[in-house]
Amino acid sequence: MRRYVSLYASFFRMFLKSILEYRGSFVTLVAAVLLVQGASLATIWVVMSQVPSMNGWSLPEVLLIYGLLIFSRSCTQIFTEYIWNLGSMIRQGEFDRYLVRPINPLFHVLAAGLNFEGLVNFPLGLVLIIGTGRTLGLFASPFNIAYLVVAVASGAVIFFAVNLITATTAFWIIESMPVSAAVFENYLFAHYPLTIFPRGIQFLLTWIIPYGFASFYPAAFLMGRDVGALAWLGPLVAAVLLVLGYRFWLVGLNRYEGAGS
Amino acid sequence: MNSALVSPRRPSAVNMLGYTALAGMETKTFLVYHWSVVVDLIKNLIATIVFVYFWRALYAQTPAIAGLSLDATLAYVLLARIFQPLGSFMLVSEFGHQMRQGALAHIQLRPLDIQLAYYVQNLASVVVALGRQLPVALVALLVFRLRLPTNPAVWGVFILSALLGRSVLFCFDYILGCVAFYTTSAWGLGFAIFGLSLFVGGGLVPLVMLPDWLRPIVLNTPFAQAFYVPISLLSGVAPLSQAPRLLLIQFLWLLGLAPLSRLVFAVAIRRVTVQGG
Repeated sequence: MRRYVSLYASFFRMFLKSILEYRGSFVTLVAAVLLVQGASLATIWVVMSQVPSMNGWSLPEVLLIYGLLIFSRSCTQIFTEYIWNLGSMIRQGEFDRYLVRPINPLFHVLAAGLNFEGLVNFPLGLVLIIGTGRTLGLFASPFNIAYLVVAVASGAVIFFAVNLITATTAFWIIESMPVSAAVFENYLFAHYPLTIFPRGIQFLLTWIIPYGFASFYPAAFLMGRDVGALAWLGPLVAAVLLVLGYRFWLVGLNRYEGAGS
Repeated sequence: MNSALVSPRRPSAVNMLGYTALAGMETKTFLVYHWSVVVDLIKNLIATIVFVYFWRALYAQTPAIAGLSLDATLAYVLLARIFQPLGSFMLVSEFGHQMRQGALAHIQLRPLDIQLAYYVQNLASVVVALGRQLPVALVALLVFRLRLPTNPAVWGVFILSALLGRSVLFCFDYILGCVAFYTTSAWGLGFAIFGLSLFVGGGLVPLVMLPDWLRPIVLNTPFAQAFYVPISLLSGVAPLSQAPRLLLIQFLWLLGLAPLSRLVFAVAIRRVTVQGG
């Protein structure tokens, strides 16, 4: 474990150096991500400042859901979303190199790149959680803070596990990026209270692609809304999904015979 | 610098075949990347569903926002989803790509007017992208019961406004694209402008809902001229009686940006050095 931490630290330093080498590009990218997120946030702000609530949810509550989602995602987005490129690694024969090196191939795939967008979403999500948490008085109780930490960690694992499962399909279909993108896109629903959507979408975001545990259910619980046992299921769902994801990865890895002729 | 780059050959007559070939190339490129088409479609459908329920939830406790009823807002939002390609722009990444590949010299050597060639390609690409929106249109019509305007005058004004707006955005895009000649990585800028245009163009929220201090600023951007104006005319957010004034404003924008974009390109292209044979 210590060896992998040390290895990742080396990779991370290398990526940071490459970022700093092209500072202009990095600054533009930061501005771009902020503008894209800012567009969504501005829409919520503009409209919600003219209505009493979003079907019973106030502006700070909606922003808490939004913040939890992008913060949870960013925690793994920075380090693990490079796995979306597994398909192109296989297609170009790059993945074969990872198999002959004395480190875990999954670790190697994850460590092959950093997601810059996550570096911007991380502080943005944190600011949203802290800002709305103060407005809503969430930080008065140490229990709430501990609950938030666990909720964010569970959400981060869920994002990683879903990405791992969809990316692993590359061992069968080679180009897995569309699968990852199509599944991931459902996270748009999780930006808002799930109760505004029909039951089918609520079911999808709870039991099939469980992004609801990264945002809506913890926020609802902290706001005192009754979501039953779903308020506590996040860590369990994350653990089960992670185990399933890793097993699926091993099955795919075992059947992999190379993409070449 | 290659002299051909400084003084590109200009056509002596309109070369229709050349422009038609460029439009056809755009269609083929689309067909090759069918996977990305499917993903784009899924993204678009999900975003459309999210938008509809987002607005329904907002209207749950109020009959109108900024004078717009739920039906009017949904009509605007659904039409905005369907006609989303009207607000797209692509030249920043296109010029950047051509720079990196060294292909700019080839483009300069074509016996076509560069700006007109890109304009035709741009229009063809928007038409193709609009065709791809058919499933979104079907969902809007059949699932969310979008009612399209029946007055032919509304459609006529919309088409004219969309064409003018698209031309305005093309010229603005052409100017922005020139940034690629000064920097090695322009895609970040393209992404940043995309983020800005999402909100400023009216793709996320009808611009009449913006606060009084912000609305005039946003309306006076090429993004709003290209997207918000035609969609608001088609959806009825802007009544037909306002059409002459809105079309005139779009025309004036075009009148200003068309020569400016040519001038900026002529200056910026002198920065380019194409090495090798």
